[in-house]
Amino acid sequence: PKLHKVHLQQWDQHNLTGIIMDYILPYVPESIKSIPTHMDFDGQKRAERYFQIIILAFAVAGFGCGYVTQFFSHTLYILFAGVIISSLLTLFPWSTYRKMPLAWQPARSSDNKSSALASSSGNQTQSKGKKKKLKD
Amino acid sequence: MNSFTSRLNSLFAFTLSVMAALTFGCFLSTVLNDHLRPVQLSVGKVSVKNVPDYSADRERSDLGFITFDLFTDLSPLYNWNVKMLFLYLTAEYKTKDHELNQVVLWDKIVKRGENTILDFRKTNTKYYFWDYGNGLKGNENVTLTLRWNVIPNAGTLPNVRGVGSEVIRFPDQYTAGRF
Repeated sequence: PKLHKVHLQQWDQHNLTGIIMDYILPYVPESIKSIPTHMDFDGQKRAERYFQIIILAFAVAGFGCGYVTQFFSHTLYILFAGVIISSLLTLFPWSTYRKMPLAWQPARSSDNKSSALASSSGNQTQSKGKKKKLKD
Repeated sequence: MNSFTSRLNSLFAFTLSVMAALTFGCFLSTVLNDHLRPVQLSVGKVSVKNVPDYSADRERSDLGFITFDLFTDLSPLYNWNVKMLFLYLTAEYKTKDHELNQVVLWDKIVKRGENTILDFRKTNTKYYFWDYGNGLKGNENVTLTLRWNVIPNAGTLPNVRGVGSEVIRFPDQYTAGRF
């Protein structure tokens, strides 16, 4: 019944990706499904800092090389090489970006679920607005 | 910054801003150039006829004919911020009807990478030298100049006059017959 309900919702929302995933996901092997796709908040901050620095460094180097050779196309080619390098280094959730996970409280029984939510630590900048109010 | 696509989005937007800054830097590096070059011009045959201009109002107007020599080297004008030069040969003169007349007789596009040394001998003009009226006959001071429009990769498009000109004196008599 749950699968049917989800199916109907996805048709209503014109969610093609959801429909496809419903039919493909059962066939994807577990080793692939368990590849992590998230980064820690600290990892996200570091990833953004890294790509900004890499792209700026290649931009400055490209500007210098382009000025010396007097071809602006050289500047852009060097910049694009920097974009590709920084994409490979910072877009994918490498394990270095998962080195500071949030310190969740241990799970408690379902009777005390609301108090467990209120006392969990870490940067609660996610979408759950109710949690924010409880925390403060 | 929670998913691959959101990181990709911020990286892409950052890259575009960086490219805009680089382009502005390219413009700044050439903003003080004066784009001047010496030009050697001379004319050969000079004649003028008085014929009806059928593309205008059928009145008889002066039609000048010249052949010109042009020599210049434009290679110092090209830098990483110049896409091409649009050259145009202009004749300027004053008549009793109009204070300033300017007629473009010939033009050429020289892209970056093409041959920048121009050496034209006894060249015919590309466009007709029509006057509005009869101001060319006996005109002693028709100045021929080569000008160019610098088309940049980023920035302004200045019109620059080359250093050097030639004065054409048109004869007092119209030339009859063919040329």
